[in-house]
Amino acid sequence: MTELTPAEVRALAAAAGLPLHGADLAEVTHRLNAFVEVLGGLAGLDLTDAEPAPAPPPDLPDGSR
Amino acid sequence: MTANLVHRSAVELAGLIRARTISPVELVEAYLARIDRWNEALGAYVTVCRERALDEARAAEQALGHGAPLGPLHGVPFAVKDQFDTAGVRTTSGSRLHRDRVPTEDASVVARLRSAGGILLGKLNLTEFALGGTLTHPFGQPRNPWDRTRETGGSSSGSGIAAAAALAAATLGEDTGGSVRTPAAWCGAVGLRPTWGLVPRSGCVPVAWSMDAPGPLTRSVEDAGLLLSIIAGPDGHDRWMRPAPGDPRADLERGARGLSIGVVTTLVDSPETDAEVREAVRRSADTLRGLGARVEDVDLPLVPMAGAVFMALADGEAAAWHHRTLATRGDEYDAGTRRRLVTAALLPATLGQQAARARAAIRTQLWDALGRFDVLLAPTAPTAAPPIASAQAPIASRAEAGRRFFNRRSYTTPASLAGVPALSLPCGFTAGGLPIGLQLIGRRFDEVTLLRAGRAYERETDWHTRRPPLPA
Repeated sequence: MTELTPAEVRALAAAAGLPLHGADLAEVTHRLNAFVEVLGGLAGLDLTDAEPAPAPPPDLPDGSR
Repeated sequence: MTANLVHRSAVELAGLIRARTISPVELVEAYLARIDRWNEALGAYVTVCRERALDEARAAEQALGHGAPLGPLHGVPFAVKDQFDTAGVRTTSGSRLHRDRVPTEDASVVARLRSAGGILLGKLNLTEFALGGTLTHPFGQPRNPWDRTRETGGSSSGSGIAAAAALAAATLGEDTGGSVRTPAAWCGAVGLRPTWGLVPRSGCVPVAWSMDAPGPLTRSVEDAGLLLSIIAGPDGHDRWMRPAPGDPRADLERGARGLSIGVVTTLVDSPETDAEVREAVRRSADTLRGLGARVEDVDLPLVPMAGAVFMALADGEAAAWHHRTLATRGDEYDAGTRRRLVTAALLPATLGQQAARARAAIRTQLWDALGRFDVLLAPTAPTAAPPIASAQAPIASRAEAGRRFFNRRSYTTPASLAGVPALSLPCGFTAGGLPIGLQLIGRRFDEVTLLRAGRAYERETDWHTRRPPLPA
């Protein structure tokens, strides 16, 4: 994914109905691009069998598994 | 007597009260005097329940003479992060948005501590809505008791200060991605993140439901075990909770002999880890080896991704919770909180799903390691407490955003992502006199072994007995 520009981030925020102005715009752009860069690195991992369950079911037996 | 009294552990204080060596009124007054002396400088408390605490202390004193059964915290003054609801006492979540919010019921964990005889001294400061990165704290800047120009760690900032600086006998925080463990490490206290699913979150303002875990910050491992024994277990409201397998203190004095401990080299030897922290943590591993534990290195290669994965998921959950308020009252949030939430709200859904898959892979890696070791050992944070000013500087680049937000969080978030318990305890000091935190990570619902390892280390060392330079 290419780096987002402040104008693109402003448009995304407007579409989401969120305020974004002044110093917030520059910083949110940097933060969002940092996310995109680091999480983009996950594409190099084989996560085919990694099922995205958000939390371990509470009724698993004691111990780690 | 009073000067030393406030530094005693909650277990010791409960024993002294039961033996009628000290009175609950005397103890509450001693803590109130210390709060009066230091709270303005340290920013620990948002609200002090002075009159109510004294009333409850008088009632506790009377109850001592009646011969009725006494709870394990009878007459012991505690304080909680201002993220937990307290009936009749405002609960701000560290935000101007909630400055006048007064709940009608206690959070389950607060109700349990009070039912055990504890006396609520007050509500403790935190980063706004328990998210890190607050730039301006509306109820005062939390300051590290070892060096007031330094951060306390968040989000349970006041809980870390109050435990370390003896502004309460024991405190409660909430750990989503390290919010109990980091303040414990940086302030020089003991902090326990329990297994996700053990301590109910009812009445706790949420950060991320899939990771939020209320937990104690104390001056000893034994105290952490005591508080956990009181707050653990289903409450009939939080549907994800299950009963504790037993008293978490069952093996507290059993020692480290026979334990297997994996030293997470991925974190210990990371270039992000300061040399002083690395040396202190390696020495801690040697101490445990000397006590009879089998200690070996273990590599967890996905762990450096944990900080970014955590923030994508936890911040996404938080952004969903805050979305309506953010859209309509965004200007009332602290700028740091607002920027963090807006960023998460704009993250592409496909990246969020990738993060969720990565979480599962990190969890599997941690669980597999915990299949081979009883406990994993790592630094709680890569550095000691940084200057407050460094966290308030504007972020000028993508690289800086990554450094500031992701790297440090990769030390505490693996346990959060995996739902396993983790303990931070003091393991040394930098040359500049700042505390260093040792992190022990355990198996799900096996706080017994985790606390056993922590107590064995604590018994052999004196780091937890050192006090910040704050005269009475």
